[in-house]
Amino acid sequence: MIKIYVTSIPVDDQDKALDFYTHVLGFIKKKDIPLGEHKWLTVVSPAEQSGVELLLEPMGFEPAKVYQQSLKEAGIPCTSFAVDDIDKEYERLSSLDVQFSMEPTIAGTVKIAVLDDTCGNYIQLMQEL
Amino acid sequence: MPKTLRTFFESELERIYSEEVLSPEKYEQVRQSRTFMNKYFSEKLELDDLAKAACMSRFHFVRIFQRMYGLTPRVYLRDLRISKAKDLIKTGLSVTQVCLEVGYESVPTFSSVFKKCTGCTPREYQRMHNSNPE
Repeated sequence: MIKIYVTSIPVDDQDKALDFYTHVLGFIKKKDIPLGEHKWLTVVSPAEQSGVELLLEPMGFEPAKVYQQSLKEAGIPCTSFAVDDIDKEYERLSSLDVQFSMEPTIAGTVKIAVLDDTCGNYIQLMQEL
Repeated sequence: MPKTLRTFFESELERIYSEEVLSPEKYEQVRQSRTFMNKYFSEKLELDDLAKAACMSRFHFVRIFQRMYGLTPRVYLRDLRISKAKDLIKTGLSVTQVCLEVGYESVPTFSSVFKKCTGCTPREYQRMHNSNPE
């Protein structure tokens, strides 16, 4: 049986990304393995530490930078994380100087907001209604 | 900073949701069933109970719930119960206690569903999480 154990997002600086994803968003570092000039660096949700890992993937491939930049310019989030209370999370993150491109907004069965992760991506937060 | 241009993402969101065929009333009705499940997940819930909470017939309820959430109410309720079970196991409750607390009547059934949803048995999950205090 094949299972999903990791998914990745491109980041322009792995150390800056680790700082943001752990100290600001609250994930926990899981793996940190040197690989050439970069590292295999993953974080997990504190509530699911044996769950799917998020790989903070370096962009040593030029087309990846073009892709990341194009998504950002279009305002499109590169991925989405679930939260229990998006308004509370929005207030908390805003007080930490996180920049949002979209404030909490109802869209069908969910309420979403979009933040800038400081490493080249927009990230969507989603609360199910 | 005031935004003068809407991004492609914002335009697409507006386009998609303005074309929505379901009325706001339907959303509110189905949300009531979700609120009901979140509140009474530890009890024996039948489809009739959920449909009633949404003020719909069973047929319409299942169809519209699936249209809105992308899964059936049965799967939604199962996932909710297993999610609650994981939280309770971390608090130190026994597997039997957790089983009853999330609305299952038999431990073998609960263990089977839990394993299917998480990849490990409740006891394995218990062992894993109680031996790794952060």
